[in-house]
Amino acid sequence: MTKVPDIETDLLVLGAGPGGYTAAFRAADLGRKVVLVERAPVLGGVCLNVGCIPSKALLHAAKVIEDAREMATAGLSFSAPAINLDGLRIWKDGIVGRLTSGLAALAKQRKVTVVTGHGRFVSPHEIDVQSNGAVQRIAFSTAIVAAGSEPVHLPFIPHNEPGVIDSTGALDLEDIPARLLVIGGGIIGLEMATVYHALGSKVSVVELTDQLIPGADRDLVAPLMKRAAGHYEAIHLGTKVTKAERAATGLAVDFEGPDAPERQTFDKVLVAVGRVPNGKLLNLEAAGVAVDARGFVPVDRRMRTNVPHIFAVGDIVGQPMLAHKAVHEAKVAAEVAAGLGSAFDARVIPSVAYTDPEVAWVGLTETEAKAKGVSYGTGVFPWAASGRALSLGRDEGLTKVLFDPATHRVLGCGIVGPNAGDLIAEAALAIEMGADAADISGTIHPHPTLSETIAQSAEMFEGTITDLMPKPVRRT
Amino acid sequence: MSLTEVKVPNIGDFSGVPVIEVLVKAGDTVSVDDPLVTLESDKASMEIPAPSAGKVAEVLVNVGDTVSEGHLILRLEAAGHEEETVAADAPVPREAARSEAESHAPAEASQSPVPSDTRALPAPADFDGLNASPSVRRLARELDIDLATLKGTGDKGRVTKADVKAALGGGSATGSAVAIANVPQPDFSKFGLVTAAPLSRLKRLSGPHLHRAWISIPHVTHTDEADITELETYRKTLDAEAKDKGYRVTMLSFLLMASVAALKQFPEFNASLSPDGQSLILKHYYNIGVAVDTPDGLVVPVIKDADRKRILELSQELSAVSKRMRDGKIAPADIQGASFSISSLGGIGGTGFTPIVNAPEVAILGVVRAVTRPVWNGETFTPRLMLPLCVSYDHRVIDGALAARFTRRLAEILGDVRQLVL
Repeated sequence: MTKVPDIETDLLVLGAGPGGYTAAFRAADLGRKVVLVERAPVLGGVCLNVGCIPSKALLHAAKVIEDAREMATAGLSFSAPAINLDGLRIWKDGIVGRLTSGLAALAKQRKVTVVTGHGRFVSPHEIDVQSNGAVQRIAFSTAIVAAGSEPVHLPFIPHNEPGVIDSTGALDLEDIPARLLVIGGGIIGLEMATVYHALGSKVSVVELTDQLIPGADRDLVAPLMKRAAGHYEAIHLGTKVTKAERAATGLAVDFEGPDAPERQTFDKVLVAVGRVPNGKLLNLEAAGVAVDARGFVPVDRRMRTNVPHIFAVGDIVGQPMLAHKAVHEAKVAAEVAAGLGSAFDARVIPSVAYTDPEVAWVGLTETEAKAKGVSYGTGVFPWAASGRALSLGRDEGLTKVLFDPATHRVLGCGIVGPNAGDLIAEAALAIEMGADAADISGTIHPHPTLSETIAQSAEMFEGTITDLMPKPVRRT
Repeated sequence: MSLTEVKVPNIGDFSGVPVIEVLVKAGDTVSVDDPLVTLESDKASMEIPAPSAGKVAEVLVNVGDTVSEGHLILRLEAAGHEEETVAADAPVPREAARSEAESHAPAEASQSPVPSDTRALPAPADFDGLNASPSVRRLARELDIDLATLKGTGDKGRVTKADVKAALGGGSATGSAVAIANVPQPDFSKFGLVTAAPLSRLKRLSGPHLHRAWISIPHVTHTDEADITELETYRKTLDAEAKDKGYRVTMLSFLLMASVAALKQFPEFNASLSPDGQSLILKHYYNIGVAVDTPDGLVVPVIKDADRKRILELSQELSAVSKRMRDGKIAPADIQGASFSISSLGGIGGTGFTPIVNAPEVAILGVVRAVTRPVWNGETFTPRLMLPLCVSYDHRVIDGALAARFTRRLAEILGDVRQLVL
């Protein structure tokens, strides 16, 4: 306890993912002396190294393969792609490397001290960082915990068995399994299913609930479901995996549920059933910081934990576990730690599945509105009426905007189709600004773009649409 | 070790004042009168000074907390006698020695484990469901204003930045019967290079107050001039004597004294209109606010009980208070309770101006530079030092004739200071 600290700092940031590095950089810009502790040898955390970024690189590769294949209907035939996995991996790692080295340069420019190792709190103002047996003690005045989450492990799955992988393993591109089972029909599982399907795997997806991407409205998931059902080997909804074990020819998996298949054998099993926060790995009790039973660290709107000088941001403070939420929270925490009066006041946090087609939603969903008894009206624009969507060869998309029936204010939006994830930002801005249907339809959207479908949805709600027949406004 | 509890002193009629800055942390050594925390009242920010020298043992408020008189801010360890205390305080020598050994570490590091009963943090207000854009929400957070208490004046009831700024001074935008549209701004950068310079905190605080006063009071400014030729000669004599004693005797001291004398004769000027507008609240005390120019902006410290002070006392107090204001050491008591105000630009120049009445007061005296000019005395022109007087008043309370009489009386007193002893 009387160990002399090796480093003293104004602000300690634990974890260098999007939440951590954002907090560190913002605080440094506000004049604080910052030490950033990261267990991995590179900055960027899960998002940059084994999450958002490498998965988007591989999804782009998958899209190129799929697009080339589909242009056959337009009279453009390509021979089957020759896939050099090493080349693909090096390209992906190069993208990640550019971003992480960029972060390291930004940290240096800001004079943020980066310490590599596992951090464990030893008191409300000290942390020990272990690296290769050596321990550094860092004394701090304030701290921001941004230690993230890790994939859930299931008790009935032999996670140490070769062939059983999580999202990190899937991104390693060790090989292209002939048969791949994806356990979990959420965003991460389906993105990896999209990649491996394009690379040539026969993909099966098993999901416990009765729809893919639970959380998104059913009508938005339908086009994705339709396409996946046509492409993948099987999609088992309402089905549970009860056992997986090494068999002579691969990994044997048992299923349970009304439509469950018999025992099947796969070359690889990807477990993507969610992530657990790392709140229990940091010895936070030594700092007096409360951690709940699941490992989340409760915080208030100013991102303060129960200990006033210790903040927490990102996956570790709760759902949704999304990088863009963490970044926003991180700025609040850094500013409050620097004495500014910031608070987390964002109304909505958009969600995106970068599947093919993409599914994106923000704000109120129809499912949620019905469950809570919120009255709403919708404006729905099918992409079959969008010239741009047709010219992309993709007419299955849908844009749906939810409005307050009394004030016509935008309450929520859901989009399925290529680039839905980019399109959803307009709806997020509309909600934050309190825009109503006429504000959106009165904004000139460039033609021909997919962005027009948002304005056209507003026109559908108002009955001013001319690209389709206006429908009586649906009021639920 | 003996701990001193530092509480929020009397900060006037305010309660629930937000803490906008915490200037010390546990372990810091402070001297007497060093600022500890900054509070923000409706007119100015004010610093709570350390009552004695010592080491900060524990800080008990955070930025964003709201406090009132008596609220515990921090605990202070008495300074200078640490070793003696350690020696005298037998039961805890080890603890003291240990914290001494660890004095290079942040002080609280040695306080582990923290008490399980962690103090509840004040939860910031919830802005859900309000029609306010992210930039407005952010401004409200910075200024610690609960948007839910405001009525939006924008399109569709939207709370605008102007609403938030208007609320800063205390009143809400709801109070204004007339919605005043902002002056539309062109994109200046079309015409040339522009840069934005943030206003000082003082300006951001005083701005809305001045704006409200200007909007809510029907102002009239009456001008007159006083012959201060003889007064100036007298002042110079006094000033020469005072210089050696380390202060100055300025015209302002005489203006204070003359104002008090005039206010006694015209009590309507030392008053406030009741909130319902049905009666006049006459004040039987003479606290004179004096506008002071500081590097950060305008501050109006108050000279209390000016009627009981003589020229030398007033001069000394003015010197001291002006210095404190310019050094940014503004105590809450310094700026509260004025019943009449004076704004003097005499040191700079000018021939006349319209001072804004410091609401809820009803009148203010403005003076500019005195000039020597020929004055007809009935037989000949003689050179006289003439001081322009500009009295702005609330026309709901004071009529033009009354204002003319008041100002004339002020001029008479200044023209013949012997009247002050009457």
